[in-house]
Amino acid sequence: MNTLNAVLTWIAENGYWFFLAGVVAVLCVREPRKRRNLLRVLLAVGGIIVGSIFLAAAYGKLKPLPGFPWSWRSTRISISMFAIQVESYQILSPAASNWVAHVLPFFEVFLGLWLVSGLGRRFSALLATVVFIGFMIAISYAYHKGLKIDCGCGIGPPVEAGPAALLRDGLRFLLPSILLTIGAFWVCRTPAGASAAAPAPATSASLS
Amino acid sequence: MNLCSHVFSRSRSRGHLALPVLLVLFAVILGLGLGTSSARATGASAKAARKTARAVESLGPPVKAYGSKDAPITMEVFTDYECPSCRNLYENTLRPMISDYVASGKVYLIHHDFPLPMHKYGFEAARWANAAARVGEFSAVEGALYDNQDSWGADGNIEKYVSAAMSASEFKRVQKQMEGCTAPPGAAGPAGHGCPLDSYIEADRAIGMRVPVQATPTYIISYKGQHLPPASGFVSWPILKQFFDSLLSQ
Repeated sequence: MNTLNAVLTWIAENGYWFFLAGVVAVLCVREPRKRRNLLRVLLAVGGIIVGSIFLAAAYGKLKPLPGFPWSWRSTRISISMFAIQVESYQILSPAASNWVAHVLPFFEVFLGLWLVSGLGRRFSALLATVVFIGFMIAISYAYHKGLKIDCGCGIGPPVEAGPAALLRDGLRFLLPSILLTIGAFWVCRTPAGASAAAPAPATSASLS
Repeated sequence: MNLCSHVFSRSRSRGHLALPVLLVLFAVILGLGLGTSSARATGASAKAARKTARAVESLGPPVKAYGSKDAPITMEVFTDYECPSCRNLYENTLRPMISDYVASGKVYLIHHDFPLPMHKYGFEAARWANAAARVGEFSAVEGALYDNQDSWGADGNIEKYVSAAMSASEFKRVQKQMEGCTAPPGAAGPAGHGCPLDSYIEADRAIGMRVPVQATPTYIISYKGQHLPPASGFVSWPILKQFFDSLLSQ
């Protein structure tokens, strides 16, 4: 379990480098069919990267607190602890915070697996982007309100809700997610034949 | 007369026994008297010892905790009396918690002072709370400080609310603890000595720096000696209670 978490966290924290490098590579390819094929591979990898972010975040929220063994009861403790973090944003009522704390980790598992599976990627990527934007709005709100709280992101060491968390989430999580969404929609809307006939500009514009 | 003579005559006949018996009786009475007085003296000395112990206790470190140390959950809270979030936490979360889970022995609540430099009267308020804690009036003063935070936060008249929270005699004891605490924090007092209460506040602050406390309120929850990660900011009582219940069901 710890190894899986370490792998997921590593992909979540460093995957954006590979994804951005892949985007540059796609833009450098001139031949339309090759570009399209490379883009498809990149989207599959991007789905795994963005999906890993959600899976790592869910793991961080559900894993037992230090000193507790893996069990349903310890998971309940972790969820209760996450409810405290959600409420510390002072956006939601206690009941709503509790609901979010109980639903969000499982929703993240679902979304992570959906992204990794590649099914209806444009929708899963779009949903992931919306969720990331929601997180960033919450962090911005906490920072604007002067709250010095743990962002409760669940990935890596605790980060205070503020510019550092915004930069991290923006660069590592939101940017790959946006690029994945654009790429998935572009691939879906552009038939293979059309791509071969009328290639690059749209791709370059949408991915840059 | 006869009777008397008769008795006399009988006593005379046993005259050789009378003197030792009287001596023994005298010794017994004397012994009892001495015993009673020594018991009285023991009682008095115990009373004096208790008085001394109380005096020593009042000079000991301030007790800023609620509940039983044997409680399965320990919650350590780092707060500043002038911080609005800390007041919010105290009024809406800690107060119901004290009357519920602390009273029933489930939680042991420890207060740590962490006055922030940005608050003008926060340190002074912490001094009053520590002075009150040394004479066993911490809970009354903590409540009074948070209940009237806006008022003393505006004019700095903390004494008014501390005195209103207890009897006149108790307040005199608190005032005695505050002797030498007129100088601002960190400065030497009039006699060249700093406020003796400052060392307790600084000790709490040092504990907070090790956590590390980034903002107030920050709290650390321990379950059966197992420290959980620190958390900061406001948490409502229903959410905290749910967390405690999940810990207690472990």
